[in-house]
Amino acid sequence: MSLKESDLKKDPACTINSLGNYLWSDPPDENKWADCVHCGMCLESCPTYEQTGQEQHSPRGRVHLIKSVAEGKLEVNEAFADPVFACLDCRACTTACPADVDVGGLIEEARGQIRQAMPLTGWKGVVSKFFLQGVFPNQDRLHLLGSLLKFYQKSGLQKVVRKTRLIHIMPEHLVEMEAILPEVKQPVRKKYKHADVIKAKGETKRTVALLTGCIMDVMFSDINEATINVLTRNGNDVVIPQNQTCCGALHVHAGDREMGRKLAKQNIEAFKDAEKVIVNAAGCGCMLKEYPELFREDPEWRKKAEEFSAKVEDISKYLHDTDFEKPKAEIKTRITYHDACHLAHGQGIREEPRNILRSIPGVEIVHMPNADRCCGSAGIYNITNPEMAGAILESKMKNVPEDVEIISMGNPGCMLQMAMGVLKYGRNQRIVHTVQLLDWAYQKEDSLKEGKG
Amino acid sequence: MRGKEIQTKDKHIQNLAKIVGGVQSILYKKEDLLAYDCDGFTIHRHLPKAVVFPKNTQEVAEVVKYCNENNLPFLARGAGTGLSGGAIPLNGEVIISLVRMKRLLSVDLENRRAVVEPGFVNLKLTQSISDKGYYYAPDPSSQYCCTIGGNVAENAGGAHCLKYGVTTNHILGLEVVLPNGEIIEIGKNGIPDQPGYDLLGLLTGSEGTLGIVTKITVRILKNPEAKQTVLAYFDKVSDASQAVSDIISEGIVPAALEMMDKTAIEAVEAAAFPVGHPRDIEALLLIEVDGISAGIDEQIHQILRVCKNRNVREVKVAQDEKERERWWANRKTGFGAMGAISPDYLVQDGVIPRSKLPEVLERIKKISEKYGLRIANIFHAGDGNLHPLVLFDAKKPGETEKALAAGSECLKVCADVGGSITGEHGVGIEKREEMRFIFNDEEIMAQTNIRDVFNPKNLLNAGKLFPTPGRCVEVKKERKEVITS
Repeated sequence: MSLKESDLKKDPACTINSLGNYLWSDPPDENKWADCVHCGMCLESCPTYEQTGQEQHSPRGRVHLIKSVAEGKLEVNEAFADPVFACLDCRACTTACPADVDVGGLIEEARGQIRQAMPLTGWKGVVSKFFLQGVFPNQDRLHLLGSLLKFYQKSGLQKVVRKTRLIHIMPEHLVEMEAILPEVKQPVRKKYKHADVIKAKGETKRTVALLTGCIMDVMFSDINEATINVLTRNGNDVVIPQNQTCCGALHVHAGDREMGRKLAKQNIEAFKDAEKVIVNAAGCGCMLKEYPELFREDPEWRKKAEEFSAKVEDISKYLHDTDFEKPKAEIKTRITYHDACHLAHGQGIREEPRNILRSIPGVEIVHMPNADRCCGSAGIYNITNPEMAGAILESKMKNVPEDVEIISMGNPGCMLQMAMGVLKYGRNQRIVHTVQLLDWAYQKEDSLKEGKG
Repeated sequence: MRGKEIQTKDKHIQNLAKIVGGVQSILYKKEDLLAYDCDGFTIHRHLPKAVVFPKNTQEVAEVVKYCNENNLPFLARGAGTGLSGGAIPLNGEVIISLVRMKRLLSVDLENRRAVVEPGFVNLKLTQSISDKGYYYAPDPSSQYCCTIGGNVAENAGGAHCLKYGVTTNHILGLEVVLPNGEIIEIGKNGIPDQPGYDLLGLLTGSEGTLGIVTKITVRILKNPEAKQTVLAYFDKVSDASQAVSDIISEGIVPAALEMMDKTAIEAVEAAAFPVGHPRDIEALLLIEVDGISAGIDEQIHQILRVCKNRNVREVKVAQDEKERERWWANRKTGFGAMGAISPDYLVQDGVIPRSKLPEVLERIKKISEKYGLRIANIFHAGDGNLHPLVLFDAKKPGETEKALAAGSECLKVCADVGGSITGEHGVGIEKREEMRFIFNDEEIMAQTNIRDVFNPKNLLNAGKLFPTPGRCVEVKKERKEVITS
């Protein structure tokens, strides 16, 4: 037998676990689309369908296209990538679907194939590689980025850039984003670097580990602080495992599942000893809960991922389930609540955060119509698809009631996007994470007590 | 999104793009078109030539005119939730999608009517006027996403049509683009029951073969003062169906009277909106009465008594709006829920005299056994509109054909007992041949002659609604030659 013949008998390396025109391993899962009967109940739930009216930009349309590649009717190419990458991955369709089709999972799997078939080139590739592989998973570089931002804000450079209109060399949507950059403070991972455990105030009832997140800890370290405060206040010792890393959601959304797996493994190891992993960013929480999806072809890690995922809990649900202490001080304000997609649709958490807000004396909750409609943030979607994200934000802002002072939510991406909405549409609401409000109520209670004492 | 220019040399695509305002309003690449190769009926799939998204009546008319002049087949599409294939481009049509024409144009509470564009979603009408105490009655299960334009084309029904009637009973006026591009208005000013032929009645339910509706005046109703909903579990189908007959003969006209059988219950309980129905019952009834508060309690008592007389295992009244909504969400997502227990399903839409229900269900069970395919039944029991859902797996060779044959036999049973082959889903592609169960060739010809008056070149949604009667084969063939030449 000649060499050539024997080569022919072997499967080419790239066809292992392939499916139709998906040539790489880890292709979209047939069982996920098997339940779709094309009924169309998902259509109205989909923000991109609402904007375009086009079915390739609807959940059932995307499922149909993803399936068609597996059936060999379509190739993995630019025209297929467009509808798949235009999806916000907001999961609203999963809520709407009568048959529980996991559209989000299919989208992510399809993106994995697309990125392997057609790696990003040009500046997009450079930027994506720089942030997704170079910055987010790297604590030191993240902190450096944070320090640079801090310098930018404090040194007066921000003012100069804005005043000299130097800022307009950026695309418009990035200018809008620059305008709402939160004030950068010290990351909690840096702050508690040498603390093995942050002790509960009073008697320790439980011990939890905290995922500090990558962006969260740089841009919103005050939310991490607030999270630690409310946890310790409620009898939790808090551990911050130092070798934890970025959750990988942005990588998986972008189709880089290999990097996603790498980060997942690091986190699974980092939180090995934890009994509970507390997350205050909906997008990260959802990703951590879906780690097993990344290891469909690796039984050993899949099992580890399953055990890990079972320990993950969103902060609002955890507080709610462990019967958090109801604050006694009054915060007199009118609040509306926005459901982060990855909290409401991704994790089914809707009432718990609202109950936390309701527990604060003086807080009046005003209903926001379509509260669980995506705001357009969707990870880095507002950077990659600014037009669509802008249109979605506009319709979101129309639903924000006029007479509220605060919009509360449980996800940093949404917070940035909604802050941009408030600025862009001349509104005046403050954007606040649910645990921050609870933390303020506790602090007010304490200062009142101290004042009296 | 991608591409700012049309990237094809096809002059028809370029011309159509000009009419509808450019690249954002037309799809012509295979990857995009594939999302339009079927609607809620997935057995037949065909690629359209293009999909255009006009913004107003004028653009629709111009597209139609262009297609007519260039002998391009075309059809209209709404949300594509139809279950008989009415929006499938069998002949490689240019699809005119009306979903971007989705405005609520006016609400006239005093005269109880509203004007909508065809892409306006059914449920949104009720949502837009509910704070003023009004609603739009026809409520197909797909009302969360289906469009009123599509409802008109298919003369859609729904759970509450027992008391309030189907779409045609709620249409007061239409603006229509005829297949030659001419714009006409029928039922001017929304005045009901105009003299002359009932063209509104003819257009409504014509399955998109006579014209394209671009503006619709609908009747809106005042919310009923009170509403009560009952859920009843039965050990025997015969008891449940007897209870249905008893309720009607007591003189009660429920707003809705729904039945689900054991397999249907298994599906909805395995899917996204479970209620917690017992799995070992043979049938459940979901009964809703509405009207002025005074009589409601009395009616509920009568219904409870009837159910008890028919050996109901358990019967309960919804305690609040939340519970009622939960029961309805469970019922209304019933078709989609089949996905949870079967890879594919085919839904049939027969109508039978209520009294024949136990017999028909027994015969359907035999059909199920004969083909070795499970059949679930969801049933608008009050008006005898039966939905057998044939469960199958298209991946298994030959199973699709078996499912189609089983579905057809179910319809034959309906026709045999004096019923009909469709209650609300339309004939479309799916039941063309079954039309022969109730019409002979002459009767079918009489109807296609009417179509020819509106749609002489048969470019608009050809191949739907009617079988090709033997004797007109020659005529059709000639026409086809004209069209394709």
